[in-house]
Formats: sequence, C-alpha cells, structure tokens
Amino acid sequence: MKSMFTVWWKELLELSRDRRTLMLALVMGPLLAPALFVGLLTLAETRAKDQMEKPLTIAMVGAEQAPNLVAWLAGQGIQRKDFKGDPDAAIRSQAEDVYLRIGGDYAQQWRDGEPALVEIVHDSTRQDAEVPVRRLENALARYGQQVGALRLLSRGINPAVAAPLAVSHKDLSTPESRKGIAMAMLPYLLILSAFLGGAYLIIDATAGERERQSLEPLLATPAPRGAVVSGKIAAACSVGLLSLLLTLLAFKLGASVAPGIARQLDMGLMSIAKMLAVLLPMLFIGTSLLTYIAAGAKSVKEAQSYMTFLMLMPMIPTIVLMVSPVKNQLWMFAVPFLAQNQMLLKVVRSETVPPVEWMVYFAAGFGLAALLWFAATRRYHQERLAISA
Amino acid sequence: MIVAENLRKTFKSKTGDVIAVDGVGFEARDGEITGLLGPNGAGKTTTLRMLYTLMAPEQGRVLIDGRDVAADPAAARRALGVLPDARGVYKRLTARENVRYFGELHGLSREEIDRRTQALAQALQMDDFLDRQTEGFSQGQRTKTAIARALVHDPRNVILDEPTNGLDVMTTRGLRGFLKQLRDEGRCVIFSSHIMQEVAALCDRIVVIAHGRVAAQGTPDELRAQTGQDNLEEAFVRLIGSDEGLHA
Repeated sequence: MKSMFTVWWKELLELSRDRRTLMLALVMGPLLAPALFVGLLTLAETRAKDQMEKPLTIAMVGAEQAPNLVAWLAGQGIQRKDFKGDPDAAIRSQAEDVYLRIGGDYAQQWRDGEPALVEIVHDSTRQDAEVPVRRLENALARYGQQVGALRLLSRGINPAVAAPLAVSHKDLSTPESRKGIAMAMLPYLLILSAFLGGAYLIIDATAGERERQSLEPLLATPAPRGAVVSGKIAAACSVGLLSLLLTLLAFKLGASVAPGIARQLDMGLMSIAKMLAVLLPMLFIGTSLLTYIAAGAKSVKEAQSYMTFLMLMPMIPTIVLMVSPVKNQLWMFAVPFLAQNQMLLKVVRSETVPPVEWMVYFAAGFGLAALLWFAATRRYHQERLAISA
Repeated sequence: MIVAENLRKTFKSKTGDVIAVDGVGFEARDGEITGLLGPNGAGKTTTLRMLYTLMAPEQGRVLIDGRDVAADPAAARRALGVLPDARGVYKRLTARENVRYFGELHGLSREEIDRRTQALAQALQMDDFLDRQTEGFSQGQRTKTAIARALVHDPRNVILDEPTNGLDVMTTRGLRGFLKQLRDEGRCVIFSSHIMQEVAALCDRIVVIAHGRVAAQGTPDELRAQTGQDNLEEAFVRLIGSDEGLHA
C-alpha cells in the first residue's frame, strides 16, 4: 500500500514537472470538446432558424402559367426569383438549393380541372436543401388542399367528404427530453475523454518507462509488482478524473453562455455529479486496459498505435443506436460503452435511474475494471516486460 | 554472499531455442570483488538477471546470504543493491528525488534516506549535481545517480552490470575506488565486464564466462597458473578461445 502511494506520488510529481503535457491534458482537452460541441449546436440552431423563418427566394420556371399560385406562395414567404440560365445546372453546381418547375400545360390542366403538374427540383443528398424543400412541399400541399376544398364547395359538396382522416401530432416529449436529442453526441465525447483521459500518462509510465530503461531497476526493488501497477493506474486515474471534471465544468460554462438549446441543457451540479459517477468505471476500465496493452507492447509507438482503434470503440454504441434505436433493457447496463451511453443519455434527459440499474451498472463496470487490472498485474509479472534492450 | 548453482536459461527464437546460460555456477564471498568476465553476448547479463530475481532460472538455484531467492524474491531484492544493464533515470526528477523514490520503495524512512543520500553523494562525488533535474546529465552523472539509488538501502550484496560502460578515465578511476570501498566495508560485490584490464585491476576473484558457460574461475594467480600463461591477457585468450573483447 505504501509502495503504491510512493509510485502514485512520483508519477504525478513527474507529470507536474512536464508543464506542456500537463497543459494539454488539463486545459486543451477539457476546453476543446465543449467548445466544439456548444459551437456546433449553436451554429446548427441558428441555421435552422434562419431557414425556417426567413423569406425563401427560389427560381420558378413557367411562372407565367400560374400567376395565382405564384402570388399565393409569395404570401407564404416563398418569393419568385429572376433566374436566367439552366436551373438544373444551378442545382447540380449547388448554386441553388431548390427550384419549382410549373408544367407547360399547367394553365390548360387547371382550367380543365385536371391535376396540374408542378415539380420540386432538388438534390436529395444535400442536407442544406432539406428545409427549403420541406417548406415548399408543405406550401404546395396546403394550396392544393385549399383549392380542392373550394372546388368541392362550389359543387355543393362538403369538403370533409374528401378528408376521411384528420391526422394531427401530439408531442409528448418533455422540454428535458428534447434537449436529449440535441445531445446525442455528448455521451460519445464524454465516454471518450473518460476512456482515454489517462492514456498518455499510462502509456508513458509503462511502455515509455521501459523504453527509457528505467523499468528494470524499478522492478528490481522489493516493491510488489501489484503495488507498482496499481500506483501507476491510480496516477493515471487521478489525472483522468481531474481532466474529466474540468471537461464537465467547461460544458456547464459553455451551456450557460451559449444561446438557444445549449442554454437549456441539464447541466446542474447534481447532473454533473451523476455524470462523473457514471464515467468513473470507464476511467478505470480505460486505464487498466491501456496498462495491459502497454505492458505487452514492445514500444511506445506500438502502444500508441492501439489508440486509433480504441478511439473508435466508444463510438460503436452511439452509431448503432443512431441506426437502430432500441428500448432500454437491464442487460444493456452491463455492456461497456453501451451502458455508459444509456446512463449518460438518461442523466442529460433528466430521467431517474432506478437503483437496480445503478447496481448492475457499477457491478459490471467495476467488475470489468478489476478483471483488466488483474490482467495488467499478471503482465507485470512476466519476465520479458522488464527486459528492455 | 551470493552463490549461483548450475544456472541454465534458454530463450526462444525463430530459429529455435538459444541457450544463453548453461550450467553457470560460482561463489561470490563477502569482502571480495568478484568479476564476471566475458565477451559480448557470453551470457553475463542474463546470469546477473537471474541473481537479482528478474529472471527465473530453468535449472539450478541462487542463494543470497544462504537463502534461496526463489522462496522469497522480495527478501532477496532487499538484500541486494542492483545496477542493471538498463540504468535509465527519471529525467523530470532531480538526482536526489530519483534516489529518494527508490529509498521509499525499499520502505526506508525519510531520515534514513536523507542520511544515506548524503553518504552516497559524498562517496560518489555527486554533490554538485545532486539537486539538478537529471535531464541533460552526462553518462557519468547518470551512472552515479543509478548507483546511488541502487545502494540507498545499504545492501550487503552489490551487483553491477558493466558499471564502467561509457565512462571516461577519471570517472572510471573514481568508480573503482568506490567499489574497493564497498569491498572494504565487508560487502559482497559482483560486477561484470568485457574489459580484461578492468577485471584484472579490481577483482579478487574472476569468473570467465564464454558461450554461456564458465570457462574458468579463481584468483588472477590461479587463472594464470591454470592456463600456464604469465600474462593475464594471454590466459584470457586461451580461456575463451578468441581475442574477442580484449581491445574493447
């Protein structure tokens, strides 16, 4: 125990002398993710607002065929734009988001009471065009319904006859859970910083120490190997915890200064404390796993090349859940990464987490961490670990 | 006192097993300097690693002060001061902090560490760089720091793997004086070297190792008598069967 404390203290002392690494770990990391997150959210929000509310000006081909439609659209905030040249080419070159083509026989068809052709021309792979297209679509649908109803009335028929269904939405999402949608990326960012927060320190303290040839003398001391490993893991966890705390506080700060959605995030102190508790097992799992990997790697370079792969691991549940959302089940709280993801989502959506879920979560998380810790300790007992040259 | 009995160690490689150490046995007494002499790759470092419990021998055993190290490796490490082949020091720590770290790992009290650090710093002449961070230390300063931290717990037995490697003449001379001082304090000192002159200048007993085996052992006089050569250098060549390592 005393040896563990000695190792822990020495690793932290050494790190504290390395100002630049310390700055990167404790300042850059915790600031970058929240800044990015809040910035992106704000950007997306203002952009969506712009597109929804600003008057939309689009090209309309064949507008002279349908002066009434054009006038009605203008009343809906969709204005006609003077446009010369090939509109299809303009869509392809992304100069225009969308344009309206009014069929050549529109006037004739209109007079005959036949469905008159209007085309919405756009590129469906362009995210930016999504909102204008939807606006135009909705406006045209409303116009069609209105005129249809008028035509029925003029023939003495109740328009309700042609509308057997009245479809409406009733949104039961709470204001809190709506924030959750915006925060789908937040769990990934947090899990990642917990999982790999202590990575550089632990790789340096294991593979790096071996490369600098100071591991052999260390292992020749009577300090038990288990204590040496645990001290190193404890040091990395301490740094990881501090960096995580700073990240969460930076998120809180970012949420309180940024406008719109970001201002409404559940970033109260209680929820921050809960998030920290959720991320704690991840921190241990990450550092123990990296110790295990670094103790088996031949060099720092080899140990670091695992990082790219490890960075993808927390992303798996986020992506899987985006593609096929599933209902929470108890077993999920035992699966690493997925469990953290679900727990964090629950916390930011201000849902209550039942005690049984907390229990399964902590038992599985700390159980896995203990297993990895044990494996790392076993690796420290291997002969080839100490032999550097 | 350190006794090695019939040590054997093989390493696996792609081309098959390599026998690094094969039946090495010798005795290093208290109050004597025992030199392990042999060309590069003869198995000296592997032998020493088995002595300080970093490697387990496949055959044979090691006794330190009469106790089998396999039974209680931690106790064996406490009785040993080791300067391994790898002598990296922590760059961000000062020489004093490097020594203190090892003292703490040996379970010494702060006062004891301070007292030993002072004594070792004086004996090794490291006062002028004791409180500097070891980044940018010369080879000699690094070696002295590594020796000081290896001996911070005042061990009865000292094992040094090629301690003079890469040191200049003056530092080497100083180090030789230090080793003699350790011997005169009644400690058991083992060091390895591939330089014949150095072993000849320092050792009370010499163990010549070649190709993983003990080629000969005894006092310098005994070796000369054994080979029928007046000159120790010639005796060495005769023993290892080549002049490899002589002019290193």
